[in-house]
Amino acid sequence: MSELGGTPNLGGTPKEEFLSSVRSALGREKAAPLIPYPLLEESLPDLEAQAQEIRQRLTENLPLILDKFERMAILGGWNVHRATGYEDAIEYAVSLVNSLGVDRTVRSNQPVFDELPLDSALTNLGVTVTQVTQGADQSRESLRQEIIASGLGLTGADYAVAETGTVVIMPRKGLSRLVSLVPPVHLALVRPQDVVETLADLFLLRRLQFHSNDGEMGSYLNFITGPSRTADIESTLVVGVHGPKEVHLVLLDR
Amino acid sequence: MADIKTSEFSKASTLSIKDPQLQRALGRVGAGFDTSRQEAIAEVTPEVWETWREEARSIKAHTLDHLDYYLEMVYDNVTKAGGQVHFANTADQANEIVAQLVRTRNVKMAVKSKSMVSEELSLNPVLESLGVEVFETDLGEYIIQLADETPSHLVAPALHKSKEDVAQLFSEKLGLPYTEDIEEMARAARVLLRDKFFQADLGISGANFVVAETGTLVIITNEGNGRLCTSAPRMHIGITGMEKMIPSMQDLAVFLRVLPRSATGQRITSYVSMVTGPRRSDDEDGPEEFHLILVDNGRSRMLADPDLREALNCIRCGACLNICPVYQKVGGHAYGWVYPGPIGAIVSPMLVGLKQSKDLPFASSLCGACRDACPVKINIPKMLLNLREKLSESPDPEVKASPDLDNLLARGYVRLMSNPKLLSIAHRLGRNLQKPLAFLPFSPFSKGPKLPLPLISQWTKSRDLPKFPARTFHEIWKKELSKSPGGKSPEIPVSDASDKP
Repeated sequence: MSELGGTPNLGGTPKEEFLSSVRSALGREKAAPLIPYPLLEESLPDLEAQAQEIRQRLTENLPLILDKFERMAILGGWNVHRATGYEDAIEYAVSLVNSLGVDRTVRSNQPVFDELPLDSALTNLGVTVTQVTQGADQSRESLRQEIIASGLGLTGADYAVAETGTVVIMPRKGLSRLVSLVPPVHLALVRPQDVVETLADLFLLRRLQFHSNDGEMGSYLNFITGPSRTADIESTLVVGVHGPKEVHLVLLDR
Repeated sequence: MADIKTSEFSKASTLSIKDPQLQRALGRVGAGFDTSRQEAIAEVTPEVWETWREEARSIKAHTLDHLDYYLEMVYDNVTKAGGQVHFANTADQANEIVAQLVRTRNVKMAVKSKSMVSEELSLNPVLESLGVEVFETDLGEYIIQLADETPSHLVAPALHKSKEDVAQLFSEKLGLPYTEDIEEMARAARVLLRDKFFQADLGISGANFVVAETGTLVIITNEGNGRLCTSAPRMHIGITGMEKMIPSMQDLAVFLRVLPRSATGQRITSYVSMVTGPRRSDDEDGPEEFHLILVDNGRSRMLADPDLREALNCIRCGACLNICPVYQKVGGHAYGWVYPGPIGAIVSPMLVGLKQSKDLPFASSLCGACRDACPVKINIPKMLLNLREKLSESPDPEVKASPDLDNLLARGYVRLMSNPKLLSIAHRLGRNLQKPLAFLPFSPFSKGPKLPLPLISQWTKSRDLPKFPARTFHEIWKKELSKSPGGKSPEIPVSDASDKP
């Protein structure tokens, strides 16, 4: 497999030489671990069985897990709104946009936006909603400029983790890395089916995807928990240093 | 490699102790970071915390024991994802790889997310010599870069700077209106650096972990600069130590639990970014090229040493700094190289050479607080002792730390303490002579200012000679304790001449 592609040597140590010096530090010849690492030995059916258990646990305990997600998200710094339905969610977004006084917003292309007619509600306010999808008419650069000019970035959640109050985003076609990062305010819409209980659950599901997708992980996996923050000057907390200062999370209930 | 001043620890630490501003800053370490860490542990319960520590430790131990295997797996999987992996035995090689990439890709500007390894390599001057404008983007690192200094803490690089210092720097170097308002200063940095992220051709990051199973580089940050560095420029170079590998994506869970809690007391950081290769063809954004540089630079020396391999478990959380009575007094710069504190006192000598770092293994009271705080259970005091032993037993006269006289005295002390008869004679001599000899300036009964003992003044200048008690434990045991009725513990008489300073 090592021949695949391969990296040209730019003045570093050739791979085999580097590895053999590591081996000599370890005092042995090339060898796989004597006792194989259990996680790396799992087959696709093993992973599927565990994923099934995770889903089962989620179904059985969903109300509790959603409560935990809400609690942890608040602790993590999200402004959480538990929407009673789509109208309520849209109302929250509208009042947020109104209170921020923004006229340009940008949103990712995720399934949640197909479910609730947010675009029309915002457009009715006279607010521009730019969708992240490169078409013939939208170059990378113009999209980037639009994101930079936006006062609010809207995303769904590819997953959400109850353990930590985290929104997980996997940038790909239709989902820019920058929408949840560059505008000063981020609004994430989370559906109940996006939520998993623990970090371990999430990584198991990602591994299942990876292995069932012929080893394709996607280029980026991003966890967001609360606003951007720093305490680099005199250990004093400041929010909104390079990323959003204000983050909102609407948890949709059904 | 970064400038090495590890041989000046004693001098530098003496100066640090007399620096009132530094002492004020260091006061925030224990009260701030360590208190938050302890609260975070209390929240999950100490029992759960212990199971996490053990899990994290065992993952690290396994990976290090099979590091070649996992490095190869990382190579294969990063390559498969469309990235390139480079290996560098030395700092110079690592810098050369970056230089080659910069030259061939016509890079004019680079933005950097915090990376201790790039500090270790002293990468910035190399980039600048190639005409590349470099911007550190972590707020603390940005401050340090403007001040032309080095980080003084693993997670809070500008810890030693007061807000007045930063205000001064921002107004002098950036021409900003002078303000001591911290929020205002952070906002100014946001505005200034925002354009750089989008102008830069290159983003450089470190890695907290590299997942072998998927070829994924993991960055744990709070500010968002790490996300921007890895998303906006057209090329991303990740640089990290070869010890940062972990086998499976699922192993990340426990490290995401222990690292933020140990570093800042957070349940999780604002962001965890996991990068697998460059942008895919239909991605909306992200770098076109992804390079991962894995650096040895002395780490194989630690790997080869069974007594010190465990120090490669380190996940750079800084918990051992925050709890260390020595670090809390002397600060990070006194340690003289990139890695400060108790872990630095092991890592620096191993990476830059024992010969140049003879004082560092002694920069500890061996109280063990660092070992108890370490989320990956590195037995730091044991390793410091091991390094001390290496120093005192070395056949190389340039490495050998202690003068022959010290060794002779130590041997004499061993002889004395292991021979009850000799010890009891010495006790009686001391007891009977200490009053008649009270005129000696180092006697515990001396009326005047006490002076250090001749010959071993280095050791005794900060320690007074204790008084000999009227009765030794030996005598008490013989006369009373050994005869007391079994089962009932006798009252232990308190010595009448305690050795309070």
